[in-house]
Amino acid sequence: MKKFIISTFAVSALLFTTGCEDEFDTDVNDVVVTSGEANFSRYVALGNSLTSGYRDGALYISGQNESYPNMISSQMKLAGGGTFKQPLMPNDTGGFTNLFNPVTGEFSGKYVLSLVNGSLSPGATAPGAALDNISSGGPYQNMGVPGAKVFHLLAPGYGNPAGLNPANPTANPYFVRFASSVTTSVVADALIQDPTFISLWIGNNDVLGYASSGGDGSNPITPVDGTLGVGFTTTYTYLVNTLFPSGTTRKGIIANIPNVTSVPYFTRVPAMPLTNLTDAQVNQLNTAYATYNAGLAQAKSLGAIGDAEYQRRMIKFTAGAVANGAVIVDKDLTTAGTLPKYRQTTAKDYILLPASRVLTPQAGGGTSVPLGDKLVLTEAEAAKVATATTAFNNTIKSVATAKNLAFVDMNAKMEELNSKSGIVWDGVKYSATFVSGGAFSLDGIHLTGRGYAIIANEFIKTINGKYKSTLPQVNPNTYSGVTFP
Amino acid sequence: MKKIVLSTALLAGVLSYAGGFRVSLQGVKQLAMAHTSAHAEDASVTFFNPAGMSFIPSRLSIVAGGFGAGNKVTFQNLNTLQSTETDNPIGTPIYAAVAYKATDKLSVGFSFTTPFGSTIEWPENWEGRELVQRLELKSYYFQPMVSYRFNDWLAFGASYIYAKGNVNWDKAVTQFGGRVNLDSKASGHGYGFGFYFRPDPKLDVSIAYRSPVDMKAKDGTATFTFPQSSVYSLLGVDASGKDAFTATLPLVEEYTIGLTYKVTPKWLVSADFNYHGWSRYTQLTLDFAKAPVGNQADPTVSVSPKNFRNSKTFRLGTQYAFTDMIYGRLGAYYDESPYSGNHFIPETPSFNTYVVTGGVGFKLKQFGVDVAGGYAMPQAREVNNTAIGFSGQAKATAFYLGLGLSYNPF
Repeated sequence: MKKFIISTFAVSALLFTTGCEDEFDTDVNDVVVTSGEANFSRYVALGNSLTSGYRDGALYISGQNESYPNMISSQMKLAGGGTFKQPLMPNDTGGFTNLFNPVTGEFSGKYVLSLVNGSLSPGATAPGAALDNISSGGPYQNMGVPGAKVFHLLAPGYGNPAGLNPANPTANPYFVRFASSVTTSVVADALIQDPTFISLWIGNNDVLGYASSGGDGSNPITPVDGTLGVGFTTTYTYLVNTLFPSGTTRKGIIANIPNVTSVPYFTRVPAMPLTNLTDAQVNQLNTAYATYNAGLAQAKSLGAIGDAEYQRRMIKFTAGAVANGAVIVDKDLTTAGTLPKYRQTTAKDYILLPASRVLTPQAGGGTSVPLGDKLVLTEAEAAKVATATTAFNNTIKSVATAKNLAFVDMNAKMEELNSKSGIVWDGVKYSATFVSGGAFSLDGIHLTGRGYAIIANEFIKTINGKYKSTLPQVNPNTYSGVTFP
Repeated sequence: MKKIVLSTALLAGVLSYAGGFRVSLQGVKQLAMAHTSAHAEDASVTFFNPAGMSFIPSRLSIVAGGFGAGNKVTFQNLNTLQSTETDNPIGTPIYAAVAYKATDKLSVGFSFTTPFGSTIEWPENWEGRELVQRLELKSYYFQPMVSYRFNDWLAFGASYIYAKGNVNWDKAVTQFGGRVNLDSKASGHGYGFGFYFRPDPKLDVSIAYRSPVDMKAKDGTATFTFPQSSVYSLLGVDASGKDAFTATLPLVEEYTIGLTYKVTPKWLVSADFNYHGWSRYTQLTLDFAKAPVGNQADPTVSVSPKNFRNSKTFRLGTQYAFTDMIYGRLGAYYDESPYSGNHFIPETPSFNTYVVTGGVGFKLKQFGVDVAGGYAMPQAREVNNTAIGFSGQAKATAFYLGLGLSYNPF
């Protein structure tokens, strides 16, 4: 019997051990991070505000510390990566006191949330300090310059303080801070470091500047065609060829640009923002616009405008739960005598985030006071933005293919973020919803640390895929989101 | 011989999680034989099958027992190379039962058990903290029951189940740098019934069903803790951060067929098949009174998909009577996880698990003392739960030790 019990136990033990896989094939604690075919010893990041770590309408230290290149470089350090120095701002507020424009809010300090009448409202703070110069501390490896378009990276003198004239700026204060000389360009300061690896995410501002100014003409879309420094295709191709000349062993990754109209700056305010109007309000408004509507009828009868435009321009408010379009000035409407170019927004227009300040009963924005051109990206203007974005992205993709560089489809990632399901990481859901979505900062265009971590992971995954490296991803949930008061 | 059996039992250790948060630890003697069911020696049969009462040799039988159940779960994220281990406290499932033959035909009994429960404790700042930091689930089943013996070989029994329990769940709310504690008592009702056959003096057959119990938490308290006071007003709760919530957690039904065959007067073998109705646990709905922390059209309602599936357990056990006072027992079973890797959730981690069990029993006149142990070998698994963005690999270890007492005075 003794034998029997022992053998039974032995047999069952054998059965269990042979069928058992109770340990991991590979324990992550034993994984060695490798650089594959790439060399991360000298990594330089090029780009615009998104690369610099800009968020909440400003560049400030804690935001810079959570820039996506900083996250990538810390992972690269596990596989031979070297120093990664960022041109840190002098404070955690951002902005420049000597460049601050109180009218436009340009170069203010970061936006913060505060409680106004029981609801959270973002507002700018005072700028933290005057423009400083830290070029003696260089070179810097994060060379993201807020506001830079593609041609800016190649422009000599982009860091010359003499070019900061607000009327006709040829320089950028963020580059002035750390440019190695008054004549240098961003690309020149990058190449002098002889980087072994470059990331390049540029082109957003070539279309975003137009979109975020409501297509008012102050910041036109970069044309697709044109010579070096003018046309996107030629300039972008030249830029990448300069960074990755023929025969170089330098490796790199380039990213395309997201469709800017998927970010909260364009989606936070509903396209038809006026609901629950009272009968009294509606009567008052419809009466006030009766003269304009009569003028339209006259213009139509005179043949100055067609029926379609007549219908489109008629101003009519409805009471109750109906969503009413806001009255806007649309410069693309037909000129008909002295008639103002008014119409109400439809679901296909984008009312920009700054309009939320005037879309109040007190200010009368969109009702008694038509919204100005710079507060609305109209359907026609949005179509131009979409067309340009597609054309730019086609260029970026084909250049990446031609130069055999890693290519990251940031447009697709942003669409995923903007989708209903969003992006979920360890139980935390990220979406493109303003403030509560977790991914976008208070300016509605730039990301939070958590959002930048999602970006960093896209870069890391693509780098690993292209160069057979094994850089670990970062955990977005460990970075900061929107700060609540 | 005694020494060998003892050492075998110690070697075997014990572990007996049944998928999900069902804990198969309702009889020490049974655990030693892979927690098989067709053992009508004393009142511990009551939980397994009320009809078994009719075949208990003594007129009055009283049993009680308890276990120490330890386990550790490890999760590793292959994307970030993070690895996390739980620090779970030792679980202590307990049971007690009494069975009494009121007449030759009719038996009455009462069973108290803790068949569902789990305490999982992840490090406070681990990567899944938004899902769970700590979750404690407890349940207590109170089952009065009767059994009617039709003849020498057949009895039918039925029980009513009153279940009480509580849940205490800590999670991080990382967006606000805070956390939430969900605390509630819950209760529910159910029933069980079964047939117990003894067609031959050598053969016992037990067929039993235990109904699901929907544990309703009607007066839960959610306590939010945030570093910034503005968040409380955002969520519509006062500065204490307290809100009410309701929820329902299903404790699922179980079908069991078991048999025990006496190969010789001293040696018996037992086998069991269990079918667990986990597909009932499709989602967990938390309905808050005020806080808009949900994900539905009604912003105070949060629905988390669970998508459990029905699972099976196969058990094989044996007992040898060395003398009429000393018994040695061994067993092994295989227990299926109630979900695929696409639905793995860290608050109730579950694995396909092989378990070996063993134990020894002593009888001294009316008194019996049993010890049992189990050692589990949960199978490492791939995890890719896209609904919660949780992916990587998980593994676990577990063991059980049990001590049971029985008293069969007449």
